[in-house]
Amino acid sequence: MMDDFLAQLLPGFVDESAEIVERLTQHLIELEKAHDKTRFDDLARGLHTLKGSSATLGLEELSDLAHKMEDVVLPLRGKDIALPGAVADAVLATLDVWLANLRATNNKTELPALAPSVQLLESLRALVGAPPPKKNGSHVGAAQTPAQAAPAPAPAAHPAAKEAPPPPVAATPAAPAPEAEEAEPAQAEEAGSWRVRTRDVVALLHEVERLREVRLRVDERRRELDRTLAALTRLGMLAQTAEVRGQLAGVQRALASDGEEAADIVASMEEGLKAITTLPMRTILEPLRRTVRDVCKTTGKLARLSVVGGEVSLDRRILESLRGPLVHLVRNAVDHGIESPEVREGRGKHREGALVIRVEQQGNMLFIEVSDDGGGLDNARIKQVAIERNIVPTAEAEAMLPAQLHQLIFRNGFSTRGTVTEVSGRGVGMDVVRNEVQALQGHVEVQSTPGQGSRFLLSLPADLGSSPVLVVRCGEHQLGLPMSAIETSLLARFDEVKTSRERIQLVHREELLPLADLGALVGLRQAEQPQEGQPLLVLQSQGKRVALAVDEVIGDLELAIRPLPPEVRELPAYQGAATLARGELLLIVRPDWIAGLERKASAIASSRRALVVDDSLTARALHRTALEAGGYVVHTASNGRQALEQLRHASYDVLVVDIGMEEMDGFELTRAIRKKPEIAQVPVVLVSAHDSAADRQRGSEAGADAFLSKKECVSGRLVAEVSAVVARKQGAA
Amino acid sequence: MKITARTRETSSEQARVLLERRAERLREKPRDGADEEAVLWAAEFPVGEDSYALPLDALRAAVPLRMVTSVPLSPPHVIGILRFQGQILTAMSLSSLLGGRGWREDPAVLLVVDPGLGGRLVALDCERIPKPVSIPLALVEQARSRSSEAVIEVTLPGLKQLNLIDLKRLLDRRVQETRG
Repeated sequence: MMDDFLAQLLPGFVDESAEIVERLTQHLIELEKAHDKTRFDDLARGLHTLKGSSATLGLEELSDLAHKMEDVVLPLRGKDIALPGAVADAVLATLDVWLANLRATNNKTELPALAPSVQLLESLRALVGAPPPKKNGSHVGAAQTPAQAAPAPAPAAHPAAKEAPPPPVAATPAAPAPEAEEAEPAQAEEAGSWRVRTRDVVALLHEVERLREVRLRVDERRRELDRTLAALTRLGMLAQTAEVRGQLAGVQRALASDGEEAADIVASMEEGLKAITTLPMRTILEPLRRTVRDVCKTTGKLARLSVVGGEVSLDRRILESLRGPLVHLVRNAVDHGIESPEVREGRGKHREGALVIRVEQQGNMLFIEVSDDGGGLDNARIKQVAIERNIVPTAEAEAMLPAQLHQLIFRNGFSTRGTVTEVSGRGVGMDVVRNEVQALQGHVEVQSTPGQGSRFLLSLPADLGSSPVLVVRCGEHQLGLPMSAIETSLLARFDEVKTSRERIQLVHREELLPLADLGALVGLRQAEQPQEGQPLLVLQSQGKRVALAVDEVIGDLELAIRPLPPEVRELPAYQGAATLARGELLLIVRPDWIAGLERKASAIASSRRALVVDDSLTARALHRTALEAGGYVVHTASNGRQALEQLRHASYDVLVVDIGMEEMDGFELTRAIRKKPEIAQVPVVLVSAHDSAADRQRGSEAGADAFLSKKECVSGRLVAEVSAVVARKQGAA
Repeated sequence: MKITARTRETSSEQARVLLERRAERLREKPRDGADEEAVLWAAEFPVGEDSYALPLDALRAAVPLRMVTSVPLSPPHVIGILRFQGQILTAMSLSSLLGGRGWREDPAVLLVVDPGLGGRLVALDCERIPKPVSIPLALVEQARSRSSEAVIEVTLPGLKQLNLIDLKRLLDRRVQETRG
């Protein structure tokens, strides 16, 4: 039983040991390929540290096991040969067990058995020329005090080396005392470190985000002051207002300076928090080299993993969640993707497959690409499995394009492996990858070319940082688009817009690009042909270029994009939301969604269309609920002016209009509609919070076709009334 | 996205303070008579012509229905998204969630509630600030034994009907319907 004081040290020792084991794993993988004295020495030091530190904490069995690892490694010191594969295998496997046992001790869970590892190591002693083991138990005696056990001076002072020094070890010059060298910085770091609860750091992150918003508000105030000064100047009376204008200009300069200082503080705080909350990606990527090595050994393949961008730092919690998906992707790439050396040679490729993990952070979006130069996804096999396992009907599978077939690999239980092997075939791989990435509010894409390889792209929001976003307006809605996807903006010219029955296209740089209306894409209004001079954006995503019509380009901002809450997270149209200066949220549209959309104008055109005009968000939601359930395509407007604007460009089968709106009430809107010949026949159903005979009378006089109180607006009643009105109008026509 | 300020900034601030005070009062369960009978404390509010209630424990705040950004293409019961204490929450129409009831007044209040989804909050629209009521637990259990729906009808002394909402079940049902 460990005493309380030592038990307190255990969690720290687990973390430290995990780092050491990770480092030793890399050394073993490299030493297996070729001898490297520096790596060998560090391997020896690391094993010795594990042994000494575990003894310090009274973990004698673990100390013993570390010692036995030394026993098979140290006899090879000074030999200019690669580490024998059997030794590397045994020590790697033992390190896994060693760490698992330590973690189980810390978590007070069932301890993995150490005996098989001991036997494995013992069996290698002859191979490396080590002396037979001592009969009497521990190398680190139970009676030994921690102080005696911990600071083992140097590999040369190794007990085994003293007892029966084999020639290779004896021939090795004494190394400097590594533990002493390492302990100092470690202790210094310990003395200067604090334990902080995750939730406290997260709270601090939120405060920094608020500060960023304050900074944006300062900018907004400065712009307001600009407008005030301009208005004052327009008033004339320059002499009389000179003093006031001078004061305001001073405040304006001070605000600008404060805004810049606030921006610096935000940036500096973000950097500080980043250092606290993040770790480099390499901490989870480097261990994947071991995964590649192990899968290669099992499958008889050859592969080399290259990592680009391992220095990109990421939230520790995200890192931990990404570990599993990346292991799956890498194992799959070697097992399914990369061909055997013989096949690769036959295809004119290098015998050794190339596996690349590329990490890149753009603003607060993180992109991780896992690619291989293997055979690519087997479309025929995917199709066959999908049909055999009833994942999709045969006819549907036969009609699928390659990109659609590739999506099937993310289905639960999908595996093209005929049998379950040690590496794969259980059908629990890619669906897990997708689910885990989605749980991080991320997204997985796959691209594959037969014979050339596959590429998986994981995109995830990162907690810190901001991204440049272009803010645009569609009707009364503002939407954001990542600047990284915007190629250019221009104004529509009739001679460059080509309209056919099925599509609208833009002639841009001698290329015909599909042209869509952003407002229509997100269901705000009917698709319409762009007006002369209307702003257009050219976007590119996933290798596709599309043109997008918007009503106004408001400008670009540096914004922190946050994931949407779960109730709307599955909407493929949005990447997330960002907070604007006044605290309102801006939806960020996903460029790949726009680029990948199939135009379905004909399906929408055949549905009945209703325009709901109400200044209450909830009323609009309720009317939408009822009318969509009744088979209507519903567009909304929050005031009369906006409704008239929408009616100018699109036709509707019916309008549902609230009476009590500000600016232009429902009666006024109805009268305005009846005065315009081109829209005068559209049926109008007035809705009121109050059910008064006077309102009904006024509605009728204004030209409304029906009147409902909001308490009567239960789903069935509204749809019945609307349908009846539409039928009456059509009958009359 | 369009932001509708229903009142001027100054009165909104006053309303916010008032709403916060009321929410605080609602959270404080009255003590008088609490030991006489086992009761469930609930927040009662109207939806159209009917009375509904949520367990008081689930209520986190009542805030003015402002600064909500509508989300095009979202399910119809989603009013939009808003920021609340650094989090982005989904605001939903309770009337729509309940199957499209009529309403008497356009909701002007959002109830921020914890539906028991791992600490994640959601906002529900409400026609009026809820008032606290105590429901004898025996009546709640009796109603639950008759129905396992997301909304159970409890008959209070005096034959008043109150619809008690199990938010988690209501939202789960909606998720299933959306996916289905």
